[in-house]
This record gives sequence, structure tokens and C-alpha cells, in this order.
Amino acid sequence: MYEKTTKIINPTGLHARPASDFVKAAGKYKSEITVSNLESGVSCSAKSIIMILTLGLANGNRVKISAEGEDERKAVEGLVALIDSGIGE
Amino acid sequence: MFLGIPVSPGIAIGMPLLYEPFVPGPWQKKVEKGRVEDELRRFEDGLAAAEKELEKICSGMKKNDPEKAKIFDAHKDMLCDAAIGEEIRQNISNSFSAQEAVYQVFGAYAKQVAQAPDPVIRERSADLLDVRIRLLRCMQGVPERDLSALEKPVILVAHDLLPSDTASLDPQKILAVLTEDGNTTSHSAIIARSYGIPAVLGIAGITGKVQPGNLVVVDATQGKILLDPDETLLQAYREKEARFNRRRELTRAWITAEPRMKDGERVHIELNIGRATPQELAQADSLDGVGLYRTEFLYMGRDTLPSEEEQTVAYSRVLQAFQGKPVTIRTLDVGGDKKLDCLELPAEENPFLGVRALRLCFEYPDLFMTQLRAMLRASIHGELWLMFPMVGGLSDLRRAKEFLQKAKEELDRSHIPYADNIKVGIMVEIPSIALMADKAARAADFASIGTNDLMQYTMAADRMNPKVGQYCRMYDPALFRLIRLAADAFRAEGKPVGVCGEMGGDPLASVVLLGLGIRRLSMGLSNAAQIKKNICAMDARRAAELAQSVCEMDTAEEAQVYLKRQLADFLPE
Repeated sequence: MYEKTTKIINPTGLHARPASDFVKAAGKYKSEITVSNLESGVSCSAKSIIMILTLGLANGNRVKISAEGEDERKAVEGLVALIDSGIGE
Repeated sequence: MFLGIPVSPGIAIGMPLLYEPFVPGPWQKKVEKGRVEDELRRFEDGLAAAEKELEKICSGMKKNDPEKAKIFDAHKDMLCDAAIGEEIRQNISNSFSAQEAVYQVFGAYAKQVAQAPDPVIRERSADLLDVRIRLLRCMQGVPERDLSALEKPVILVAHDLLPSDTASLDPQKILAVLTEDGNTTSHSAIIARSYGIPAVLGIAGITGKVQPGNLVVVDATQGKILLDPDETLLQAYREKEARFNRRRELTRAWITAEPRMKDGERVHIELNIGRATPQELAQADSLDGVGLYRTEFLYMGRDTLPSEEEQTVAYSRVLQAFQGKPVTIRTLDVGGDKKLDCLELPAEENPFLGVRALRLCFEYPDLFMTQLRAMLRASIHGELWLMFPMVGGLSDLRRAKEFLQKAKEELDRSHIPYADNIKVGIMVEIPSIALMADKAARAADFASIGTNDLMQYTMAADRMNPKVGQYCRMYDPALFRLIRLAADAFRAEGKPVGVCGEMGGDPLASVVLLGLGIRRLSMGLSNAAQIKKNICAMDARRAAELAQSVCEMDTAEEAQVYLKRQLADFLPE
């Protein structure tokens, strides 16, 4: 189990295309990955586009990524870096 | 007569088609252990078939209708959602039938999505159920129903339409869409709008009342449905239909045009908005911004004041839609003719001359501060022009700015960001500030002339009182002279000055405003195409000459007759 916390910086939050990109990136890892919206306390699988949308992660929200599996460290570091890059926005 | 929510405007007259959606056949809930492999294959085959269908719809749509293609792209994402797929396979492995697993898992996700805090996301719950129906249908090997093979045009009447129902729909054959369920954010609404098909949704009991032989009249400008109307009424609606279509043609031809006068001078055409409807926001690319956002709509028809959070969301939405173009948000303008349920105001002898708009905000500092903080918070999403109404003098503006400064300091203390390029301007609607415009132009970043109130205060004629209607004269030289005073003063300071009242959208008065040097006109969406067309047919010199003549006339009647004669081609058909 490996986890890390960061903040959503892209202006539209984790919606539409950024959410889709995020889920595609998460799908490349073997580990089970969980995303938690630390503002609401709700969490879900990082590989489910529909659940990610439901999390309603907006600009400025704090978010926790945790993973369990053979590539857990790589998965968490990779996804946190993606969020910190603004996901192309 | 039936009433519903008009979501895509227009008039349609025709025969109904009662449409019933696909209903999946019954299935076993559980299967024997030995059949798990079969059921898994059934699911995978159905999944592949459904994905193929969606891909075909998408690729056919991407070129002509990218907005609609997005819906089906999203459906593909949901169909192939890794977490959903995994859960379904798990359930099948636990001896549930493929259909039961699909039904339960998609249902559970839809339920969860329906509880999301964001209303736009909540609507996606319907997409999940739509994808579920598609998948179940594909697993039964039933082909998608084809609405494109209709013989003659019909008015489609349904309980609700799934996007998949409308995918194959031939817009030439559908005169209007009527449903019992749904609202402005439903798929049926989005799709009807994208095709320009009149649509009224949320009509209680309509599917049970319409018979195949009825003649149906749909007035989707007002959300009215009539069955078998008499000849007179029918004739009236036929005329309304023709008028609507003429106006729509004009809009199609001119709404995206660049409003540039014949001599090359660019005029800014902006939008007056209240509820910020999808139709209005959809035109953001064709227009130069929002010249007047009437925030009072957020306060109307409710028992409690809108929270800072709620206001921030509403303002941000408009700022985002107009990405980078000025969005002029006016602070609360109530009192006078506008009352609120959520704020009890003492009755006044002369409400138009009483505690209204900015004066009222000064009386209710908490309400004012909440709104100012919300505007500041929203400002990071676009270009905010913050405007104070009913500014009567420099002291009003100074006092309002003190409130704004205090709001900024409060946000600073909470480390909440706001933009540092916010423009702060005034409405010119009280003659006293027009007369002091040279001073005001130094203190404010911009001005917008509110001609409706400026008219009633200049003429001393209550515009809500029909008995003094003859004194409310839009073309009065006195009014144009006052506007000229304000316009000249702001132009001399190099500050933007526009008009956001009725005159801006009036085909005759707007030309005079151009002649007075005004280059920013804000109006309701329904006027924008006509005014753009007029601007493209005018040149600055001719407009200046017309304005000069009008300002020198004796009476409003004279001015009106003169303008009508000079500008006959500028009036709508």
C-alpha cells in the first residue's frame, strides 16, 4: 500500500476530458488504485470514469491517491504527477 | 391545453407519433455453475456489439454534429468503464445471469451518480441507464430501432427519449419532440436544440392524452401544447410559426457575423442575460461578451437568500462560458418594480424613487457583501466587469467601492484568490450622474447606460404606469442629448461606454447610439442578429449625421418619423 496527497490545479477540475485522461492513465497500472476527495471524504476506483466524475473534484480540492499491488509506487507517483501537471489544461 | 418546459424554441403543427422505447425481455436471475462460461461470453459479445454500435454512431456524427458525438463518446466510456466491467464479471462468476449482472451493476452505479452534488453529473445517471438498455438489447441480439424510416414528418410524443432513440432520428422528419419526463439539461433537450427541433418536456400526462388522429400544435416558445384547435387559433399559430421561422433564418444568417460598419469600425455586441439559459450561453462564441448579467434572477422565486457558494457557482459558469470576454455582472437591482420573496422590503410611496438597487444594498450590508465576495471569487474564471446600478453621484460610487475593498480584504484574510484585473463600472441611469459624467469617467473603469431607467427618470414618467406611456419616449432628443453627454465624457477618458437598455436592441435607436460614438451595445439574444445585420449596413459617418439631426429636433415624434423614413431597411421584416 502506497499513497500520496495533492491538490487539483487545472481550472475545470477532474471533469470531462481531464477525467477521461486520468482514468486512461490509471488503467495502465496493474495495482488497485483508489482516489479520495478529501473535501467530501468520498473515494472510488481510479479506473472508473463514471465514479471519478461523481467525486466532483473541483479546482483547489485536495485529493488522495492510494494504490495496492505490484506497481503501487509507480502508479501513485505517476498519477500525482499527472494531476500536478494540470492534466493538459 | 397542456403545459410543459420549453427547452428548444419554435412552433410546430402536425400529427403525432406515439413512440415506445425498447423494453428488454424477462431473464433468469441465477444460472447453474456450469453455465458461467456461457454467460461471460454472452456479456463479452453484447459488450463488443454495443461498443461497435456506439462507434458507428460516433463516427457518423463527429463531422456534422461534434456536440452530439460527445454524448456518445461518453456512453462508450461508460460502457467500457473498467470498474463496472470488473464488477459485472465478478457477479457472473458468482452465478448471476449476464443480464441480471448488467442490470444490477449499472443500476447501482446510476443510483450513486444520481446522488452526486453537481446537477450536471447527476444527469449522467440517465446515460448509465441508457447504456444499460443498449447493452441488454445487444445481449438479446435485437437491432437498434430506426427512427429514420418515417414516411412523413411527425410530432414525436414519448414518455422519455434516450439518446439512443434519437441517434438515428431524421431531423427532417421530426417536427417537434414532446415528452413527459425531462427538463432543460436532459438529453432530449440537448439533442432537440442541436437539431433546432422545437421541444417541450415535462408535460404531465401527455402520452395518455394524445391520440393518433389529433392535430397537435406545439408552441415551444412558451411550452404550450394544443390538441385539435379551432380554425382561428390554428391560423394564428400558422402565422406565429411563419414569423418564428423568418426570425430564425435571420439569426442563422447573421448571429455569427462580425459586427463591423461599412467603413471598418468594429462594434461590440454583447448579451443581456438573467437566468443564463443554455441557448444564451451557446452563443458565447458569436458575441463579444455579456453587457448585463441581471443577478436578481438568482434571488427570485425563493424563500431564502442565495448563499455565497451558490452565487459563486452561477457567476463562474457564465464567466467560463464567455472565456476571456468581458462579463458585466450587475450587483443586485431590486426594489422599484422588482420584489423578492426572500427579502421583505417596507412598502414605499414612490418605490422607483426610493430604496432600490445600490441604495438597498447599502441598507443591507450583509446581503451586499455576500454578493461582492461571490463575484470576486468567481472572477478567477474569466474577465469580470463589476457594475453598480443606480449610481446617483460620486459619493455612491465611493461608498460602493469601499464595500468592494472590504470584501477583497475579507477574502485576503481567508487566502481566497480573486482576479486582479477586475473592472469596476457604473450604470448611467439617473440623470444626475449623466450630468457629472466627466467626473464619473475618472472614477469608474467603464459605464453602461441603462436607457429604460434613464428614460423614466429624465421624463419623470413611471414606465410601469400605462397612463403615462405617452411620456416614456425612447426617441426623445432630450434622452439622446443626455446619452451624448455621458458617452462623450467616457470616450474623452478613453474608458469603455456602452448601452444595455432597450435602446441598444432597438433597430432605430441603436443607429443613433452608434452616431453618438457608442461602440458597445448589449441586448437580449433575440435582437442580436438584426442589430448585427444593421451595423454591417451602416457607416460611422452616416450614423453621426443621423444622430446630429435627431439631437437637434424638437420632439420625439419628429425624431421617430425621421428615423423610420431614413432607416426603413433597418427594421425587421
